[in-house]
Formats: sequence, structure tokens, C-alpha cells
Amino acid sequence: MERVQLNARQLLVLAILFEHGSAMVIPLGIDARQDVWIAILCSMIFGAGLFFIYYRLFTYYPSLPLTSYSQQIVGTFFGKTIALLYILYFLYIAARVLRDFGELLLTFAYPETPLFILNAVMMMTVMYAAHKGIEVLARTGELFFFSLCLTGIVGLALVIIAGLIDVHRLQPILEEGWKRVFKVVFTQTLYVPFGEMIVFAMLFPYIDQPKKTKIVGWLAMFLSGINLASMMAINIAVLGSETVSRSTFPLLNTIREIRVANFLERLDVLFMIALVIGGFFKISIFFYAGVIGTADLFRVKEHQRLVYPLGISVLLLSIAIASNFSEHIKEGLNIVTLYMHIPLQVGIPLLLLLFAIIRHRSSFLFRKQEKK
Amino acid sequence: MWFQETSKRKQIGVFDNMLNETVENELQQNIDMIRTITGNSTDIVIREFLLGQEQEIPAGIFFVGGMTDEEMIQKLLVQSATQLTIPSSYSREDVLAYICKKIATAGKVKRIKKWHELFLALMSGEAILLIDGVAEALSMEARGGEYRAIEEPSTQLSIRGSREGFTESLATNIAMVRRRIQNPYLWLESIKIGEVTHTNVSIMYIKGIASDEVVEEVRNRLQRICMDGILESGYIEQLIEDKTFTTFPTIYHTERPDSVAANLLEGRIAIFMEGTPFVLIVPALFIQFFQAVEDYYARFDIATALRFLRVLVFFISLIAPSAYIAMTTFHQEMIPTQLVIAVAAQRESVPFPAFVEAMMMEVTFEILREAGVRLPRAVGQAVSIVGALVIGQAAVEAGFVSSAMVIVVSITAIASFATPSFAIAISARLIRFLLMILAALFGFYGILIGIILMTLHLCSLRSFGVPYMAPMAPFISTNVGDTFVRFPMWALKERPHLINQTNVVRQGSNQRPKPTNELEKEGDNH
Repeated sequence: MERVQLNARQLLVLAILFEHGSAMVIPLGIDARQDVWIAILCSMIFGAGLFFIYYRLFTYYPSLPLTSYSQQIVGTFFGKTIALLYILYFLYIAARVLRDFGELLLTFAYPETPLFILNAVMMMTVMYAAHKGIEVLARTGELFFFSLCLTGIVGLALVIIAGLIDVHRLQPILEEGWKRVFKVVFTQTLYVPFGEMIVFAMLFPYIDQPKKTKIVGWLAMFLSGINLASMMAINIAVLGSETVSRSTFPLLNTIREIRVANFLERLDVLFMIALVIGGFFKISIFFYAGVIGTADLFRVKEHQRLVYPLGISVLLLSIAIASNFSEHIKEGLNIVTLYMHIPLQVGIPLLLLLFAIIRHRSSFLFRKQEKK
Repeated sequence: MWFQETSKRKQIGVFDNMLNETVENELQQNIDMIRTITGNSTDIVIREFLLGQEQEIPAGIFFVGGMTDEEMIQKLLVQSATQLTIPSSYSREDVLAYICKKIATAGKVKRIKKWHELFLALMSGEAILLIDGVAEALSMEARGGEYRAIEEPSTQLSIRGSREGFTESLATNIAMVRRRIQNPYLWLESIKIGEVTHTNVSIMYIKGIASDEVVEEVRNRLQRICMDGILESGYIEQLIEDKTFTTFPTIYHTERPDSVAANLLEGRIAIFMEGTPFVLIVPALFIQFFQAVEDYYARFDIATALRFLRVLVFFISLIAPSAYIAMTTFHQEMIPTQLVIAVAAQRESVPFPAFVEAMMMEVTFEILREAGVRLPRAVGQAVSIVGALVIGQAAVEAGFVSSAMVIVVSITAIASFATPSFAIAISARLIRFLLMILAALFGFYGILIGIILMTLHLCSLRSFGVPYMAPMAPFISTNVGDTFVRFPMWALKERPHLINQTNVVRQGSNQRPKPTNELEKEGDNH
């Protein structure tokens, strides 16, 4: 653990950037077709529930990260196993997002550049950030948050001015009823990006006003949920659900539609800014959580020492996890959700919370008896 | 001969042992000693005379020619030789004490016993009076000599505002600031730095506004300096800055007394040094390098517009050439069709890739600029003519570079000149080349990565404990009014939050100008 403190605003900004990360560029939950925005809003509400589990665990152990309190709750052996699982999970997801990012960049702008090089450049930046620590990352987040907001506002204004939005494309609402929406919620959008807030269980101990943690987390989820939902809704309103579902990057297609005054056109650079900044923060936070988790579990005093070996592992892993993009996407949607997201974002935290409650109840009773 | 034995700090070189001893009784011996130590240097003036009227005592006055106020020494001599009456009952020791009280011409008189103190005083421009038969000397403040007159600052010009700039004289510089802040809590501390040069360095701050912790830190860092000599405030800057391996300046320097006064009022600390018109100011924040004194003299809307312009200008000077490289090599589709055809047509005849072209032009420009800075003014014009002709016309006509590239280089150059602080403009110059390499390798992705790396680096910097990017990151809402924007004067209620400052409010609660009848109404309510 580093000896730094983040204030509530910094945590909020980090969480918002993290939630947007890759979610804003990919066709998030497009299986729900034109109802995707409902799906995102629903997952936001359920996601807030998941966040409450992480928050309750944090209130029992306000000065410890996930990898430490798991040991306190279920004992050293099981606790360490859980901690190790989480570290691997964080690093693996970092590698996955890195792969996503590299593939996106490759197909969108750099068809001739090797994937490894694109990933390596990004990973280098992430490693530098992790080396500098969470405080620097949070401050950088504050600066980029403004630029990203500005980019978003400019983009939205241009889409509206260009008269691209056709609300009829969002109809019919709930064409196939709630079933399709909830299927998407519980198989996709709940876990990415909302359930991924589990990574902040590693960052909570840094916050300087622990009381604000809950409100900060919820606010971040609320704002990101609304924003992601409206972004997807705009994508569909501009392109139609058919095109969006076949597109790799609906946001890019939307931006490419913009043509204002015969001059402002092909604003791909806006998409690139969103992609690179969002990708950077998402990978950095996962990677940083993995690094400090490892430092915490194996009692390494300076987390900086772990940055380079782990960083290179993540880079190699990002290349090795899949032989092509379709395999990567398939794994992400089917295997990772079932075997990683559900147990690690929902199952284990719930169990941990249950044990923690029992433990605290019994020790509470025990103390009461002692007093008598 | 200094610092040969690194473990031991030596005061003065060869005659070390002698210097620790006290001044002799006999005048002649003392004169010989001074002659030996100074190697008979011809600018050390030694004037022997008979002191007093009733009792005539052999005495000598010593000073360094050119560093002292000769007129004052003349008066001193006249006074002590002709007007001073010393009662015959006085012993020699009493005489010294008597003179100490009696001589009115000198402002500051000090009694000295040790040789090294004597030489320190002598060399800093004081006049030394030695009397035969007394193992003690009197040093009298007589600093003077020729200095450059106060002129308009040459680096930080302003249309509106004071025309005074600092000079090389420490005392004059300090007085200029004192005249602006007439307050007893404007405190000044002096130390001498430099084992050989004994340079006077002063730190100035307003007690009660500046944080004591930061003052203590500055004091410690200055005292830690152990070097043969410091000749410019740049030496101090490099020895006390928080981080060496960065292109960004973490200490501000200025030539303007009004700028120093404003910074002192914000709770910062100024470091003055003898022999340079540049005064250091710590802690320095990134945004300070985009602020000019005139921002506060002009009205807020204009100042805000100028601030925006400067930030824009900084970004242009950073990324203009790299954006050109990225667009022409990787992202042709981003350029509007007609423009891309025009650029492609120009680049048709250019034998180099865009990166080489840009690099060539940028390096040429840097050479021209360096030549322009160092050359005598008469030759400098020739350089600019050659530059304009060679770069502007001949290179394009010869098909070495495209005219679009010339435009990009010129825009970059002008943008870099428009950055108000040279210190930040020069770091943008360095980073520009890195970004050009990144752009040549990865296009806009490379530029974005470069900017993320730069921002991470900027956010990791601190200046005397204060985060460099404050008040943007960490975000301090009460201070944002004076960053990329400048709020109206009355809205800037608080000073910048530096480390552990308690005294942050700097103006009354209703400074907003209102029509007089409204003010009266408020008065009635109270």
C-alpha cells in the first residue's frame, strides 16, 4: 500500500473514467437492440446493489484493501487463495482490455502496425502511471476528465447540429418485452462495466473521507450509467439498431456521420481521444489494483518493483489470450462472464460479506458477554 | 585548492591557519598581513593617516576601490583626521569605542576581531579602520560603486504597469519590493552562499501569509548548498529544485518587482541574489508560467481571453509539427479533401518523408534562433534575413520542403514566442521533438500517448511540496478563478492554497462594485 490519500472528488473522477473506459466505444449490450439504453439503466441499478456489497465489506475494514480483508474474514489460507484469485483476475482483465484496445486501434486506424507494438506503447504508458502511483493517476484523471467532458459536449453538439438524430429509430420500445432486456442485463452489461467496480475495493482505503465512499460510488455509477445509456441511445438514433449491432465501434460510425458546414467532417480524432484516454484509465486502474494486490499479498514494500515484471506479463498475456479478435470477443462474452465475472463480482463478495457479518455479530456478542 | 578534501569544509584557501587568528596590535603588522593575503592587489586601497587632534594615533583605512562609496570615505577621513578630538586620558581601547560612537558618517559600524571576518567585510565593500595598538578593527558600511541604473525589464515587458526592472544590486532590488509592500511583516533573511564567492543571498516573505514550513524548507535547502561559487540565480535554482530530471521549471523567476510583490502577497517566497536581476520565486505552479503581470492590470474579460490564447499557443507550439506529420503520414482521411489535394500536390516534389522534412525545418529554425540570440545586434539582422530568404523562399523553390511545412514551422515559432514565460516555452521546444518522433511512429495515437505521458509527469511534479498542477489537479475550487480564466478582481477572494496556509482570505466580503445608492442601502441595514 502506498501512503497517499485521495479525496472524494478524485475517486469520483477515477470511477467515472473507469466506467466509461472501453464501454463507450464498444457496442455495449447491443443484443437488446433498440432497448439497449433500458438495459444499461437497469444494470446500473443492479450494479448499485453490487456496489453496496463492496461498500459494506469496506465499512467493516476501512483501512484494508480486498486482498487483506479476505484473509481476515475467511482465515489466512482461504483468504490468500481468494486474494490471489482476485489479483489474477485484475491482471487478466487488464490484459483483456489492453487486447480490446489494441484490436480497436488496429482495425480503426493502423491496419499495418503489429498489434504487439500498439499494445506495448500503451502498456508502457500504463506502467509509467502505475510506477508513479495512484495519486498521480488520480490527478491526471482530473485533468483528462475535463478534456473528455469537453470532447463529449463538442461531439454531442455536432451530432445535434448536423441533425442526425432520428428518435423513431429507438422505437418500438420493449419490442420483445422485458425478457430480452433482462437477459442482456444479467449476461452482459451488469458485469461490464458496472460489476467491474469491484476493483475499487482495492482503492477504497486511500480515500480520505471514508463516509463519502458510498455516495461517490453511487454517483459515479449513476452518472456513467446515464451517460453510457444516452450514448448508446444516440448511436441507435443516428445509425439504427441494425447498423449498430453489426458495427464494431458504433461511436466511431456515429462520429463519421457528422458533416457540418462542409468543413467539420471526419472527426475521427474525437473518437481516438475517447478511445485512448478511456482505455488508458481502465487498463491503469486494473493494472494498478493487480500490482498493489500483489505487493500486499506477498509483502513487497515498494510496489514500484512489481510494475515492470507484471507489466511485461500483462503485455504478453494480452497477445497470448486469443489467436484472433473473434475468438477474443467470444471468450469475453461467454467464458469470462460465466467463470470470472459472476463468481468474482457477485459470488465471492456476497460470501465474504456473509462471513464478515457473522464474524462481526459473534465478536460483538462475545464482547458483550465479556462486559457482563 | 578549495574542496580538495571533500570531507572538510574549508573557509579560505592557503592562509587558513592565519585567518583564524585575531588581528594584531601593531598597525604595520596588520598592513603587511592584508598585503600578503590579498597578494598586493592594486585595487585594495590602504590609506594611513593620523587619527584625532589632541592625541594623534596612527591609523589605517582599507577598502576595495570601485566597490565602495569613495565620497563617503573621503568624508570619513576628513572627519576622523581633522574634526575628531580625542581626550588624552583615553587609552587606545577606549579610543576605538569612542570612535565607534562618534563617527556619524557611516551607517553601520561593527567591531571585528578575527581576520576572516575582517576580510569578509573588506571584500563585500565595507571600509575597515585599524588603529595602532588595538587588536581590533572597525568595519564601516560604505558600499557603493557603479551599478546599472534601473531600467525597463528586458524579458517581461508589459504595456501597462510599472517600468521598473531589477538590477544587479541586491540592496536596490530589495528596496524596490519594500517600496511596494510597506509593511513591517515583510521579512528578509540573508545568508552568504559560495565558499569562494561569498555571494549575498536573501529570502523575502511576508510573515503571517507565507507558510512557515515552506520558509523553513527554503532556508534548509539554501543552507545545504556547499559550492565554490554561485554566479546567477540559475545556480541556486538548479541546486534547490525538487526534481532535476524534468524539462519543466519548478521555480519561477522574474525581473519585475511588481511580480515579486504580487507573489509575496500570495504567500510565496522570493530569493534574491547579488549580481543578477532575476529573482527566484517558490513554490511555483505550472499555471504561473502562463500568467503575466498584465493579466491583473487589464480587465478580467480581456485577461481571460488572453489566458485562453496562451494555453492554446502552448499547445500549438507543442503539437503543430507533430500533428502535421501525423496527418500527412497516417490520417490523410481527416484532412478536408481540397486541402489534402493541395498538400499532396506540394509534397509531390519533396524528396523526404514528412518526418524528415519537419525535423529538418525545426532544427534549422532552432539553429537560426540560437544564432539570433547570441550574435551582436548588427549581425543578428543579417541572420534573420538569411533565415527568411533561405527557409521562406529558397528551400521551397528548391523543392526541399513543402510550403505547408514552412507555414507549420512559422506558426510553431510564433506560438513559442507568444508563451509568456521563456522557461516553459523552452521545455515545450524539447517536448515538441519527442512528440514529433512519436507522431512519426504512431500518428495521432503517438501524440495522445505523448500527451498522457507528459500529463502523468506533470502531475507527479511538486514544487516545494505543492503539487505542480494545482489548482487543476488536485482541483481546488476556490483557486480555479485564477488559472485558465481570470475571474473579476472581487471574485478572487482567496490566495492560492499552498502548503499549510492558514491565512488565505485576501479581500473584504463585498468588493464587488455597485451603484452608490445600493451601497448606502446595505450600510443602512448594518
